[in-house]
Parts: sequence; C-alpha cells; structure tokens
Amino acid sequence: MLYLLFIASLIICCLPLVPGLVGILLPALSWLPMAGLNEPGFQAFGQAFSWPGIQSSVWLTLFTGVLSTLLALIFTFLILQKSWGSRRWHTVESWLSPILAIPHVAFAIGFAFTFSSTGMIARLITSLGGDPGQFSLLQDPYGLGLTLALAIKETPFLLLMSLSVLQQLNVSRLMAVGSGLGYNHAATWISVILPQWLPRMRLPIFAVLAYGISVVDMAMILGPTRPPTFAVLVWQWFNDPDINLMPRAAVGALLLLLLGLALLALFRVFEWLICRGWQQWQYAGHRQHHLPGRHLHWPLILVPMMVIPVLITWSVALRWRFPDLLPSRFSLQFWQQETAFVAELIATSLLIAAISTLIALILTIGCLEYREKTGIGLPGWLIAMPMVLPQVSLLFGIQVTTYLMPGQHHLLWVVWSHVLFVFPYLYLALDGPWRSFDRRYTQTASSLGLSALEAWWRVKRPMLMPAMCLAIAVGCSVSLAQYLPTLSLGAGRVSSLTTEAVALASGQDRRVSAIYGLLQGLVPFLLFIIAMLASRYYQTKMTAEKTTRNSEPHVLIREKPHYK
Amino acid sequence: MKLTWMALCLTLAASPLMASEAQNQPAMSDMSWKDIQQRARGQTVFFNAWGGSQPINSYLRWVAREVKSRYDITLNHVKVADIAETSQRLLAEKTAGKNTGGSVDMVWINGENFRTMKTNELLDGPFVAQLPNWKLVDKRLPVYEDFTESTDGLEAPWGVGQLVFIHDSQTLSNPPASFAELLSLAKAFPGKVTYPQPPAFHGTSFLKAALIELTNAAPALYEPIDPEKEKAKFDQITAPLWRYLDQLHPVAWQQGKRFPGSATEMMQLLDDRQLLVAITFNPNEAKAAIERGDLPATAKAFAFEQGALSNIHFLAIPWNASAKEAARVVINFLMSPEAQARKSNIQIWGDPAILTPEALGSEEETQGFQLYQAIAEPHPSWQTALEAAWQQRYGH
Repeated sequence: MLYLLFIASLIICCLPLVPGLVGILLPALSWLPMAGLNEPGFQAFGQAFSWPGIQSSVWLTLFTGVLSTLLALIFTFLILQKSWGSRRWHTVESWLSPILAIPHVAFAIGFAFTFSSTGMIARLITSLGGDPGQFSLLQDPYGLGLTLALAIKETPFLLLMSLSVLQQLNVSRLMAVGSGLGYNHAATWISVILPQWLPRMRLPIFAVLAYGISVVDMAMILGPTRPPTFAVLVWQWFNDPDINLMPRAAVGALLLLLLGLALLALFRVFEWLICRGWQQWQYAGHRQHHLPGRHLHWPLILVPMMVIPVLITWSVALRWRFPDLLPSRFSLQFWQQETAFVAELIATSLLIAAISTLIALILTIGCLEYREKTGIGLPGWLIAMPMVLPQVSLLFGIQVTTYLMPGQHHLLWVVWSHVLFVFPYLYLALDGPWRSFDRRYTQTASSLGLSALEAWWRVKRPMLMPAMCLAIAVGCSVSLAQYLPTLSLGAGRVSSLTTEAVALASGQDRRVSAIYGLLQGLVPFLLFIIAMLASRYYQTKMTAEKTTRNSEPHVLIREKPHYK
Repeated sequence: MKLTWMALCLTLAASPLMASEAQNQPAMSDMSWKDIQQRARGQTVFFNAWGGSQPINSYLRWVAREVKSRYDITLNHVKVADIAETSQRLLAEKTAGKNTGGSVDMVWINGENFRTMKTNELLDGPFVAQLPNWKLVDKRLPVYEDFTESTDGLEAPWGVGQLVFIHDSQTLSNPPASFAELLSLAKAFPGKVTYPQPPAFHGTSFLKAALIELTNAAPALYEPIDPEKEKAKFDQITAPLWRYLDQLHPVAWQQGKRFPGSATEMMQLLDDRQLLVAITFNPNEAKAAIERGDLPATAKAFAFEQGALSNIHFLAIPWNASAKEAARVVINFLMSPEAQARKSNIQIWGDPAILTPEALGSEEETQGFQLYQAIAEPHPSWQTALEAAWQQRYGH
C-alpha cells in the first residue's frame, strides 16, 4: 500500500519532469520540427549569449535572488533569537499566517502602490511639504525594491518552517546548558543553535533561493527593466511571437536551471563550511555576543499590513490624483462590475486548490511513511526540482505531452500540474514534524494490540494534525497562486482568480488590479485563519488531559516529550 | 534513451491520428451562410483576446449576451495578458498534431502575431469574403493588408488603431506638432517626456512613427529588412532615429534610466502630473478616460502634423478550432453596424468602426468623430529589427 503510494508519487510528481526537461533540451538544440527546425545544432546558444545585456541580467538575478535569501535568513534568525520562547513570540506567531497568506502578486501590487514615485509614501512626503523627487523603490536599476519585497515576503515562510525545527531542538535546555557554561543568550544562539538549525532548514531555504532567482510575476511588477532579471527575460523570450526564436528561449530556460542548481550547490557548500568544514569559530571561546532584532518583526508585519489599506482605498477610488492623500471621487462601480463574475472564479480556484492539495497530501504522507518504514526517501534535489525549474520551460514540454492524449480534459491537467507544484511545499512543511515525531508512541500503540493502520490513525494522525492543518493551508495558497500552469494546461478554458488578476494587471487599471489583488489575498487569508483555528483545536484536544503550564506560550506543533 | 523515446512520441503524434472526424462534412467554403448559422447553434466559442482593459471586457460581456439570445452561441472570453501566449499554445498543438478539437476558436490579432500565425499555417480560411457583413466594410481603410502583410482573407477587420498623443490642456496648452518639437519640449521641461519601453507595443510604435518622420517616410520602410544581412542599409536608415533618442534620453523622465512599461502606465503618470504627454493607440482614449475618471476633464488627444500611425486590428480563426461555424457567426456579428456602433461609443469602449458611414448611419448611437490622417505601418520585419537595435543600444 505504502509502496504503491510511493510509486504513485514518483509517477505523478517526478515523471513529468522528464518530458518537461526534454521539452527544454530539444528546442535548446534547435530541434523543433513544427517550426521547420530540423537541424540540431548549437546556434541558439550563440543567439542567447549575444543578447545585449544578458550579463547584467544574470548578475541582477544572482544579486536579487541571493541577497533576498540571505536577508530573509538573517531576519529569521534575528527574530528567532530575540523572540523565541519569550512573550513576544506569541505576537510573531499570530501574525505569521496572515502575512504568509498574502500572495506574491497581491503583495507586489500593494508594494508598488505604496513605494512608487507617485505612491503613498511619496504622497505623504509631498503633503508634509517635502519634495519626494525621484524617490522610488520600483524598478530601480539595482533591483533593491524587488530584493526587499522578496525578503519581507519570504521571512514569514522561513519562520513558519523554523517552528517545528526549533521544537525538535529543545531550545530551552540548550540555552540552560549554554548559560551554565558562561555563554550569553546571543552567543548560545550563534554557536549552539545556528549549526543545528541551518541543516534542518535546508529544503525551505532551497525553496526560497530557487524562488528568488526564478520569480517572474513579482519581478515584472517590481524589478528593473533595463535589463530585466534573467527569469523575466526568458519569459519574454518565450513569448516572442517569432517561433524561430523559440530555441533561444529554451537555452535561456536551461541556463536559468543550471544557475539555480549551481546556487543550491553553493549554498550547500556554505552550510557545510559553517557547520562542519570550519568549525573552529564554534568553540573559539567567544562567549559574549550582541545581536539586534528585538523589534525587527515589526517592520516585517507592518509593511505587508500597510499595503492592504492602500489596496482597499484604490479599489473604491474613481479619481485619485497625485499628490492627494485620499481619492477625490469614490465609486463602488468597479466592485459592482466584478462581483457577478468573481463568485464563479473563487469557486473554481478553491475547487482546484482543494483537490490538488488533498491528492498531494495523501502522496506526501505515503512518501514520508514509506521513508519511515524502509529508509528510502525521495532525495531532496528531486523534491526541489519543480520549485527550481523555471515553470515556463517545464510547462512547454508537459503541454505537448498532454496533447498526445486524445480528448479535452483541461481541468484534469490543471489539477495535475497544481499537484506537481504543491507537492514539494507540502513535503517541506511535513518533513520536519514527521522526522521529529517520536516513534515510541506508535510502538506503544502497536504493543497494546492496535494494527499498524489503526495505530497510525488513532495515535500518530491526531498528534500531527496541527502540522497537517498548516501544511494544507500552505498547499492551498501555493495552488491558488499558480498562474502559468493554470493558463497553459487549462488552455485558457480554466480561469482562476490568479489568471484573471494577472490578465487584468496587464492593463494596469489600478482600481481593478487592487480589487483582484485583494480578492486574491483574501481567499488564502481566510484559509489560513481556518487552518490556525483547526490547528489550535487539535492542539487543545491533544493537551486537554494534561495540565497546561501557563508560563509557556501556545505552540503550534507538539514538542517531543522529555526523557530524563 | 529518453530523447529517442520523446522523439518517437512526437513522430507518432504527428501522424494523422485524429484526421478521421472531419472527413464526412462539406468544406466550409461550399456551405451557404444559412447552413453555417444552422450548424453554429449550440456551439461554444472560446475567444482569446487581451484582457487588460475593463471597457473591452464589459463590451465583450454584452456581445456574449447578444450572440446567446440571437444565435444560441455561448461566447467565452479567454483573457490573456499577451496574445503571444495563444500563438505559443497553438504552436504546441500543431507540434502534437492536434489538428481538430483545438482549444482556441477565435483570436484577436494583428501585425507580428498575424505574420507568425500565417507563416506557420495556424489559421483557418480564407473565410472573410463569406461573411455577409464584409460588404459593409469601408474598403478605403487598409483592410487587405496587416502591417504590409497581405491578409488573404484569413482575418476579418474589427477596429482601427491610431497612434496619437494625449496632453492635459491645463498644464500644456500648446502641444508639440512633430517629433522635433517634442524634443524641444523635453529640453525645456526636463523629466516630463518619455515613451513606453520597447518591445512593448506602444514603445515600438513610437520608434516607428519617429523613424517615419525623421526619414521622411523612406520607401525602404515598407519592404522587408534583414538587419544582419543588410546591416549597412539598416544602420544608414535608422541613424537619425538613434541621434534623436541620444538627445532625448538625458532630458527624458527619470533621465531615461527607466521607461514606463506600457501606455496605461504613461496615462497614470500624465494624470499624476509627472509627464506632459501620454501615448495611446485609440483616438478616443482621452474622452473615454475622462469618462472613466482616469484623466482630468481638460485632457485632449492630438496627433502630429505628419498624421497618425494607423493599423487595423483583426479577428481570426485557428486552423484546428472546435467551433469554426460559430466563430464565423460571432465575427460576422462583431462586424455588424449595431455591434460596431456600440464599440465606437466612448462611454462603452471608443474604438473606431471599420464600416462605411452609410452602413453605420442607420444606427442612432453613432458617435461622430474624425479619424486623423493615416500613415501606414512599416513592414513587420522593421518592428523586430528596431526592437533588437533598441535593446542593443539602450536596453541595459
């Protein structure tokens, strides 16, 4: 049974990578029969490399992708070391999910409305009598705005992923030992907890890094344009109406893929250096360190929260001229125009999200249990593949493959592609809790006469339910945010909130963009609220019989029991 | 191994797997219009068209209601951010040999996208002469050519685009009448003039219009150009344009370090008093934008003395469409006086009609407006060449 699930995961989630990759490789070698290109060769590489500005474009991608990942990592670590286990942590945790729930596109739209040269900040400066000049965090040549937005957006994800890791590490005891040896708070975090936290965070960090260099939608809204980041450039190449230039796009996709893999490898080396290769710093005897970060979580909460009122105001503005602080004419007409059409869109989006997340969840559990049982797990690089590969290139090959099947099953293909992209995130979200689950619970249950399945269902499942609730919310929000797969495999016949939002954002009517941005954010937001409540419910159900210690903040994921 | 497997799949797919369906019905060109309408009943049409404009989307919602009640056809507007996405999909379907039952029944295209679809034989037809409303079309408009590419009856005209400018008469009372004057204006008011970054449609069109003025409409612009093989010729013709831009960029918006991404963004910047001049392909855009609350009431459209770069935008049917009959009926309806008049109403969309004044005259809701003097579009190869050269010089 488990074996079957494991094989099914491989077929559903990993096999498509084959036509996907072949679909990049063949066109990259200029073999594209339908465009009359039957002469394989390397000329497309020349075309791609001779593109003016490709070098700066690649550098820009490296810069924004790596810097935003490092920033997010540093933010995460600083917040954790100052707030974990303190009263502040409760604030951080309750704000995590809503911020995580804001989709990238919606956040980018709001960020643009706030920080552009005619945005909210510039309006405020003007109204206070200042001159904003050309202040703009939008499409600045170094991609600083994009980097910052990415870092702010990814930090909550890393924090959420750190939850279970830190539960596992049993921080309070490490701290006790550390202070007993004369290390102060920050020093213990740096030399004791960091080397244990970093390797366990490997997959989430890979995901963030890969996303940072292959992101298209956010980079299109916030990133520089001369040249754009490499992912955007490849996307533009793919959309070039001249089909003979398709090979160049495929080469670009291939390069982006190699770039991504190289960066992941580099990060792995970096991690090894810190934790294993060059350990001396860990016991060099520096016992006093000071790190900032006591209030660092506030900007990370406030910036995403600030864009929401701006979006709401735009959605009801009829006239809102710079530098007015408020619209001069209000109108609900845009909302009225759209509501009739929105209900159906939300229903479709939710249906696809629910089905694909459920399938991905079953497959994930199957894989994790199979690993538990046999020790054969999916390798990290394979899991990370759908997250690292630029979607555009992967989809072309998959699309062609779907046409080989007779009939029109657009919805089926869309759901399947969503499973493909949701699966890695679910695997990521559940990997930690599964690893940290104490087997002795199920062993005890088995020794009391329960079958393996019963033991799983009655003991293990309830204990992991909080983690599963959040994972489901993450999965659904990933599915809800998919743009390219829905568009290309749904052949435009499956419209979701996101495809509609991006299509309308191309027209750049600020009011309509704001409405769809809000809606696109509202749906996952509600899902997260539900997930949080469900997770709390299971949490209290689990701990109801125990006497709860009030001194400890409410945690989402059960700690391992203490064995003294 | 995998490669051979994939190649095998592709060759298999290209074999006529699905050619059996369409054998036993008469060819569309032999059918009477009545038969076509009869067959179209109950069909569903997936119309792939740019979805970035609310007025257009609302107009298409009206069309959907009308064709449902009149012809029992269900029209679905598939909103795309760029019609090139659809070319891509059709290409992929062609790759896999899906020659019937395709996912697209109708597309809204012109220029470069039409040329791509035509040369790759992705279009059904010729069908235009079959449409009853074709005889109402104003043949003085360039409806037989799409950016100098002959339409061959593969696409039906839908509306007229003209590249004009918009200014706010309150901040700029005396708009420039030529590209030369635009440059003087930019020098007098640094940071207030710009154009959308090519390859955005409007940006490339700005370059073409400037090139036509600066070369006095050199005849070479209307012939194909290969910038690699004919480098000397290309460089010589375009030299004045680069000289012009080299002077314009330092005094342009944000010192030419950044360009707006689209015409819509320029409209916002005009409204935000960051720019003096915005650009649009719809001669009625200024009026329509005032109606929508996007521009102040003092905004006005204007064209340069040489006239306005003009083109027609078209409707076409892919070769593998599932509802070819219904697509023809819908296109015919979109060309009817009633639909055309409603389309040109500035409170609805404001896109100029392609019918003769006599044909439109019977409609009460016609908006009387004059088109600007038209300049023809250069050959599409110039578009690609200019985009590449701009990228080479200023793209990074």
